[in-house]
Amino acid sequence: MVLAELGNKITGALRSMANNTFVDEAVLDNCLKDIATALLQADINIKLVKQLRDNVKRAVQIEDMASGLNKRKVIEKAVFSELCSMLDPDTEPYELKKGRSNVVMFVGLQGNGKTTTCTKYAYANKRKGYRPAMICADTFRAGAFDQLKQNCTKAGIPFYGSYTETDPAAIAAAGVQRFREERYDLIIVDTSGRHKQEDALFEEMREIEEAVKPDCIVFVIDGSVGQAAYDQALAFKQTVPVGAVIVTKLDGHAKGGGALSAVAATDSPIIYIGTGEHIDEFEQFHTKSFVSRLLGLGDWTGFMDK
Amino acid sequence: MMKNLNKKINVSGQAVLEESDVKPILETLKDKLISKNVAEEVAQKIVNTVESNMVGKKLTSFTRVTTAVTKAVESALTQILSPGRNINILQEVEASRREGEPYSIVFIGCNGVGKSTNLAKVAFWLMQHGMKVMIAACDTFRSGAVEQLRTHTQRLGVELFERGYEKDPAAVAKEALKKAKESRCDVLLIDTAGRMQDNEPLMRALSKLINMNNPNLTLFVGEALVGNEAVDQLTKFNNRLIELSSQDQPHKIDGIVLTKFDTIDNKVGAALSMVYISGAPVIFVGCGQQYSDLRRLNVKQIVSVLLS
Ligand SMILES: Nc1nc2c(ncn2[C@@H]2O[C@H](COP(=O)(O)OP(=O)(O)OP(=O)(O)O)[C@@H](O)[C@H]2O)c(=O)[nH]1
Ligand SMILES: Nc1nc2c(ncn2[C@@H]2O[C@H](COP(=O)(O)OP(=O)(O)OP(=O)(O)O)[C@@H](O)[C@H]2O)c(=O)[nH]1
Ligand SMILES: [Mg+2]
Ligand SMILES: [Mg+2]
Repeated sequence: MVLAELGNKITGALRSMANNTFVDEAVLDNCLKDIATALLQADINIKLVKQLRDNVKRAVQIEDMASGLNKRKVIEKAVFSELCSMLDPDTEPYELKKGRSNVVMFVGLQGNGKTTTCTKYAYANKRKGYRPAMICADTFRAGAFDQLKQNCTKAGIPFYGSYTETDPAAIAAAGVQRFREERYDLIIVDTSGRHKQEDALFEEMREIEEAVKPDCIVFVIDGSVGQAAYDQALAFKQTVPVGAVIVTKLDGHAKGGGALSAVAATDSPIIYIGTGEHIDEFEQFHTKSFVSRLLGLGDWTGFMDK
Repeated sequence: MMKNLNKKINVSGQAVLEESDVKPILETLKDKLISKNVAEEVAQKIVNTVESNMVGKKLTSFTRVTTAVTKAVESALTQILSPGRNINILQEVEASRREGEPYSIVFIGCNGVGKSTNLAKVAFWLMQHGMKVMIAACDTFRSGAVEQLRTHTQRLGVELFERGYEKDPAAVAKEALKKAKESRCDVLLIDTAGRMQDNEPLMRALSKLINMNNPNLTLFVGEALVGNEAVDQLTKFNNRLIELSSQDQPHKIDGIVLTKFDTIDNKVGAALSMVYISGAPVIFVGCGQQYSDLRRLNVKQIVSVLLS
């Protein structure tokens, strides 16, 4: 997968530095330039890349006494710890609790895969023994309720929505109340796509959040989004308390760096990744084990399980 | 090096430009392009071209190197974004109409980029120009795809051609074309399912639809949010269409619909990446979720935002 490709490039850049006997300023600059290029090609936000470059340089200068092999180690360590702090927000994702109604709300930009991902998430947890139910709080997009209905029918998951009610917060509240009464333990709220430039859409998101008081808000982001990812993700986070990220469409060729910038912006961990249009094309993501492999420079595959 | 640079920048007169004069300035410009969401590879190539054009040139008196280099980049960007071939859809539709044939446009692209929505906007635009439009629901895969188009066609008051789900989209398109001709429609807009450029079976299915139906226009729909992936999307969609074609004159991407332009502030670089890679012009810019949110590309504005 693509994160691995990025990892390989970075490891390659570090290794080529290792071929130089003396690590002087020029060698370091070259190495950092290669790494920066790899990160930019992977859509990591340019500001974050610059920051990373500066931080590594600073770390190296502090350890200026060290020379040769030690210096290389210092650089290596600085690069990886920078990458890790970008990937690992140091917050644990919300754990679903058995025996109560967990309410999870999905938000994100238009067309990034929320509705599809809601179903995958419901299905994955159904297989773990939960009783999921889904609510369509998207009253805007043409065919939104039909889409969710058809998805749920295929997956055997109960759903709630309306063709006539125009207030998504009202639908969400009614749906949550009903499924709580019916003792579903995982209630998933799908919402319309929105973007930070339209205040009314963000206000609507806030209203839905207030109406359902979710236990967790999942920000869904398409793995191919570029430099705009960071600002959009930040704006979502500033409006509602995003607690987890799901990166979609990683079955393509996208390196997902925009999405990683979104992790940095929301300070929330990636919990799953989407790798296809089908309901089971969904993988759990373990930030910690991904990061530890990153640090170990070892095996890049297998940091996810199905 | 920095001292040297400062000196050179302030020098006017007949200095011959050297690589070392131009390179640092171009590096800064490249970063600027990337920060505006131009793909790294594209930014690098543009900068390389400008560099090889500039090195060895004599500067006229009183021109600062920075100014000259920026001007050169500006004109390179303008040239890339200005269409080599112009497509006048309304004229082409008129011509088709005179021959009694419906003009067909197929919308293709990756998942969720805005194909169906912008197809509906194009329908609205064509209707404003007095055209009779029909829409063919050839996304027979994604849940709700047919109902999505039904909602749009009901609102717009145009005819929908659909055969439900799990049908062969190429066959549905063929039937739709026949129906459009019978109903004396001027334009048939064909919606297709989203797909990843690496998904071989789905790319083959798309190629089949195009080979079988010979649309007059193939529009690639790409979102302005896309980053470096724009390069791979355009390259592979174009290449696969050409490689899988059964015709002497293979269909390829004729034009681009750039969507979600309202979501990116000044990060307008995807437009440049897409046009640079495909050589196809941006025909429409989608800038919102209403039917009227469809515009033309303003090249001058994009270039100035890219360099601001
Ligand atoms: N290839 C691939 N396609 C995906 C993935 N996740 C979602 N999609 C597709 O992306 C498109 C958009 O997905 P939706 O679930 O409708 O996105 P959304 O965020 O609900 O869209 P809006 O409600 O309009 O904002 C559909 O064609 C999905 O099938 C994925 O992981 N891989
Ligand atoms: N803000 C904004 N949203 C848009 C624009 N164009 C489309 N959208 C939204 O993007 C989402 C996806 O649009 P669709 O038209 O369903 O995309 P698609 O490419 O047909 O998706 P699939 O058929 O699932 O591959 C919807 O929520 C649209 O309202 C645009 O120009 N601006
Ligand atoms: Mg949706
Ligand atoms: Mg569609």
